[in-house]
Amino acid sequence: MLKIKNLKADIENKSILNNFNLEIKSGEVHAIMGPNGSGKSTLSNILSGKKGYDVSGEILFENKNIFELETEERAHKGIFLAFQYPLEIPGVNTNIFLKTSLNAIRKARGEKELDAIEFLKLVKVKAKELKFDEEKLNRQLNVGFSGGEKKKNEILQMSILNPKLSILDETDSGLDIDALKIVADGVNSLRKKDNSFLIITHYQRLLDYIKPDYVHVLMNGKIIKSGGPELALELEEKGYENFN
Amino acid sequence: MEEQLKIDFEKLLETSNFSKKNIEIKRKNFENFIEKGFPNRREENWKFSDLHQIISKNIKNISFYNDLSKPNKIDRSIFIDGLEHNKLVFVNGRIENIEFDYEEKNKIEILDDLVLEKSNNANNSLLFLNNAFVSKFFKLIVKKNYSLKKPLVIYNITNKDLVSKSINLKVDILLEENSSLKVIEFSNDKSTTNFININYKFDLQKNAILKNYKIDNNSNSNVKYSFSNINQDSNSVTEIFLLSSGSEFTKNEISCNLNGKYSSAFVNGVFILDKTKHHEIKTNINHIVENTKSYQLIKGVLEDTSKAVYQGKIFVDSKAQKTDGYQLSKAILLNDNTEFNAKPELEIYADDVKCSHGSASGSLNEDSIFYLMSRGLNYQEAKKLLINGFLLDVIEKITDLEIKNLIKNIMSLKQ
Repeated sequence: MLKIKNLKADIENKSILNNFNLEIKSGEVHAIMGPNGSGKSTLSNILSGKKGYDVSGEILFENKNIFELETEERAHKGIFLAFQYPLEIPGVNTNIFLKTSLNAIRKARGEKELDAIEFLKLVKVKAKELKFDEEKLNRQLNVGFSGGEKKKNEILQMSILNPKLSILDETDSGLDIDALKIVADGVNSLRKKDNSFLIITHYQRLLDYIKPDYVHVLMNGKIIKSGGPELALELEEKGYENFN
Repeated sequence: MEEQLKIDFEKLLETSNFSKKNIEIKRKNFENFIEKGFPNRREENWKFSDLHQIISKNIKNISFYNDLSKPNKIDRSIFIDGLEHNKLVFVNGRIENIEFDYEEKNKIEILDDLVLEKSNNANNSLLFLNNAFVSKFFKLIVKKNYSLKKPLVIYNITNKDLVSKSINLKVDILLEENSSLKVIEFSNDKSTTNFININYKFDLQKNAILKNYKIDNNSNSNVKYSFSNINQDSNSVTEIFLLSSGSEFTKNEISCNLNGKYSSAFVNGVFILDKTKHHEIKTNINHIVENTKSYQLIKGVLEDTSKAVYQGKIFVDSKAQKTDGYQLSKAILLNDNTEFNAKPELEIYADDVKCSHGSASGSLNEDSIFYLMSRGLNYQEAKKLLINGFLLDVIEKITDLEIKNLIKNIMSLKQ
């Protein structure tokens, strides 16, 4: 599904990612763990098409190079980024935003757009699954939401948009145990043989609830070790500094 | 220009049927205008909008005489749809229609044969010009305890026959005790490079409520000045909303005197400007007695090389203890060549007051755009959503639900 080859990314002449390689197949869950400043967020930004980076190398999504695609075109193709810090958008009603987003994606895929009633039906079910307070959907997007609510809102969006590749950028940070479990359940319920996940995290904690197929350790802009779930435990025990 | 003014003024007196008293007042006003001329940036009030320069730049060979002898056709298709309303229709500065079909006839009164008052604002030359050249002025009286059942829409229509004229309109509205009125001032201009000068006076007696919405949304090359003088007795409420968008230049000046205890004024507005448009909102809120309240929220979205100015003044008299005054202005600059000038002025002579002001401007947040685009919206859609969101809280201040929805529709903010 996703193949990253020799990815190099600089920002203002500072090298962030270098010789970065990764392959994710359909149905797989990969976790990338790394210390602060190792390039984790840069990776998720580049996958979603954020501007401002000098990039070279290749990112193939379903065998097509995505460098030429705008952010929204990547979303249309099924790439979803759950933000580490979801933005507050004043004056924009959450439900209306969700509907606009879903219909933009459906339209781009040549699917029928949902009307208000169909949409509300869908969102009701999804919100209930994630124990997301429906009343909040009538508020301005993320404005006045707690950290946990913002993260849950990201997972709700993911579940409504039903992407092929979901990138979770430190979705676990700032979540209490209960919220973490709900978020993990949400992700697990979306795990299917044709959906893949890339989970970016500092801690092993989230991986107790979402069992990854592969764990990669990212340091100084490249993957220094890959393995199975046991690698996360090893990392937890040793810490990043003594890991090599 | 002075020569033209004189010729046009004499022509106006010759062809009209003014009373002796009015001619006398008009001559005085005319002389005052000739002496002062159009305001320029040397006057503090006009430092960000040099009207003298704007008129000479935008209007070639301006003429001050406007032949009002023949009626103009009314294009009824521009009337507001889906909102039952009373009408006062001006076309090219001529009154063409007065319709109060929804109201009890003995509860309102419309006068049009009035003696001009001597202008008490010696600094405002545009009021002199207005008094000198206005042909007929109207006064609407809403009787005690009466609330108009439907809003009044004052249509200010100019059609394509009108070119390089100076148009002057004057409307007075008196709201007697416990009465209320909603007025929508709706501009629709298909004309070219005229100077439109409107003078409103609102007098609110005890417990009266005025809701005044000014909508100028269609792009046009006219230069406009609108002055509203509002006097409020105790417990009266004024709510103003300005959609400042369509004309090449517009200055809305609002002077509000809170003369009675517990009176309050709310002035909210949005600038939506592009190209070379230049708009200003200037307020003077005068807290004259104790326990009065004012609130002002102005937001702007500026594109291309447009410019917006907000001069908001709050004056608190030494007697006006317990005044509550607030003003905030914000602008999104979509381009480095746009300009937003905010000048808050607080002049406070009482010691037990609560007054605050603030202003901020900046560009659209690129991270927010990226967030929305990552959800499948293209750049234009994301930008529009953010801009609409930014403006929405000003629109939400409109307390009349029907008119709020109308304005949302006009601004294509309907969700």
